[in-house]
Amino acid sequence: MKMIEIENLIKYYGQVKAVDGVSFSVEKGEFFAFLGVNGAGKSTTISILCGDLPRTSGKVLVAGKDVDECPAEIRRKIGVVFQASALDRPLSVEENLRNRASLYGITGEKFQKKLKELTALLELEDILRRPVGKLSGGQRRRADIARALVHDPELLILDEPTTGLDPQTRKNVWEILDGIRKVRGTTIFLTTHYMEEAADADHVVILDGGKILANATPLELKNTYTGDFITLYHADEERVKLLKIPFERVGEALRIEVKNTAAATELILAHPELFSDYEITKGKMDDVFLNVTGKKPEGSL
Amino acid sequence: MKTLFSLVSRHCKLYFKDKGVFLPSLIAPLILLFLFIAFLGNVYRDSIRSVLGAFSALVSDGFIEGVAAGWLISSLLAVSAVTIAFSANVVMVQDKADGQAKDIFVSPVPRAIVSVSYFVSTFLVTSLICLVAIAGGFVYIAIAGWHLTFADVLLCILDTLLLVLFGTSLSSIVCHFLHSQGGIAAVETTVSAAYGFLCGAYMPLGNLTAWLRNALMFLPGTYGTGLLHEHLMGAAIESAADSGVPSELIAGMKEGFDCNLSFFGTAVPAWASYLVLLCSIFLLVGIYVLLCTVKFRKKGNVQTR
Repeated sequence: MKMIEIENLIKYYGQVKAVDGVSFSVEKGEFFAFLGVNGAGKSTTISILCGDLPRTSGKVLVAGKDVDECPAEIRRKIGVVFQASALDRPLSVEENLRNRASLYGITGEKFQKKLKELTALLELEDILRRPVGKLSGGQRRRADIARALVHDPELLILDEPTTGLDPQTRKNVWEILDGIRKVRGTTIFLTTHYMEEAADADHVVILDGGKILANATPLELKNTYTGDFITLYHADEERVKLLKIPFERVGEALRIEVKNTAAATELILAHPELFSDYEITKGKMDDVFLNVTGKKPEGSL
Repeated sequence: MKTLFSLVSRHCKLYFKDKGVFLPSLIAPLILLFLFIAFLGNVYRDSIRSVLGAFSALVSDGFIEGVAAGWLISSLLAVSAVTIAFSANVVMVQDKADGQAKDIFVSPVPRAIVSVSYFVSTFLVTSLICLVAIAGGFVYIAIAGWHLTFADVLLCILDTLLLVLFGTSLSSIVCHFLHSQGGIAAVETTVSAAYGFLCGAYMPLGNLTAWLRNALMFLPGTYGTGLLHEHLMGAAIESAADSGVPSELIAGMKEGFDCNLSFFGTAVPAWASYLVLLCSIFLLVGIYVLLCTVKFRKKGNVQTR
């Protein structure tokens, strides 16, 4: 069953075409990554998806319902984690969750039950009564995710959820999100600047200038838009130069780019004396993004 | 209804818990208190004595203190009712600036309910603070010299609530167009600084030049301030008759201290002041509803549950 179906979506802001004939679909329970630089049309598409912005033309269905015809019904199925925390900083985490739950008619005992569940799932016990303004970035993110899950949404939209977080906290947030997906079967719609976060997605769409440039699984994208890399350790650079193929120095090692794994195997077999200590890796999502859009991803280091 | 109650409760909590919102809202009333303690109090006392002239010997210090206290508290309430309403509506602007509004709008709550919730919370917060100020004011007047009747007390509360409603409607319209912290800070500062003068709370209208006095009579807030002056000072001034002060002088004093307003030389009765206030409230609420409706239509989804 399809959770999202978008067909030929067009959105104009005055004379500017922000979204230009975008079509894609997301299956129920899928982890979907929506990539693009700032201004690519991601936020506009999300706003249309949430029924917060009218479209110029095209079809947008969530769980089989048109967003313009049944906005309230669709909003009950959607939870959003915004890039900037939407929590009220002077209020405690519990007050924030209580306020949010009441917007969905979840009050009294129903709320207490939900609070208990979210507290266990997101390890909120220690921060439940603390004002949001006094929490660390990672703690606030957990509270943000809890807020988005308070009404058991079928679709969780994550708009750059880990921007500004340190690597360890990013890892923790992803562990939580993976758990939610596996336990609840929630469909995850992710936009991110960190391309490697999209590497685990079931399905990736790359958007630029309001148009879809690529729509495939991460493996298909890597196979199509990047080559393989052979990283050579303890190799003589002069001898590698004689191969007359492009390479770069990465720390102590040399990295040779080849078309695919078959080409890598062929090269190694032809020059076994050079390849005594090496590894073959696929290209990264950063390389995919760069090759697809010609632009460096904003979150790349 | 539950959703509305929940949103109102959230906005009210945010107002009182966020020191950056709550404390600045008390600036205008505190300025007035400071001015009164620093010099305005003495200016009013001297002014009362000078108006009474030779008759000032007939009245007690309690009378003068009672009139001065009535002026202070009525001015304080007139200013607070509007300036605090602007501060309370900061919650709406902050929500737009910080992204909370976007978050509320992705919930199934109809946008109209969200707009109504800001209006109701602003009215409740401002009313609550003003009612506390009224209670404090009555204690102060009782210490200075109590001359109020029970009707004055009730009418004072009514006047204040009407002014709060006026301030809530006005601030809701202004805040509808604001989307940044800077914008609301500028508006709050301007309103706090200017409103007291514009509504005749800092200085009696009689002290102003004729053209300015007439211009201020086109502002509805002036009528609310006049009603408060009448209901908090009128009885005190009239009590001077017991000490033998002539009725002409008492009438002059009431006019001089804006208890009785006049519009281009024509006396404005209390009912007319209430009418002006009520009509302006209806007009402002109507404009706010219209602005919200246009905005929702632009967004393309005036939704129903």
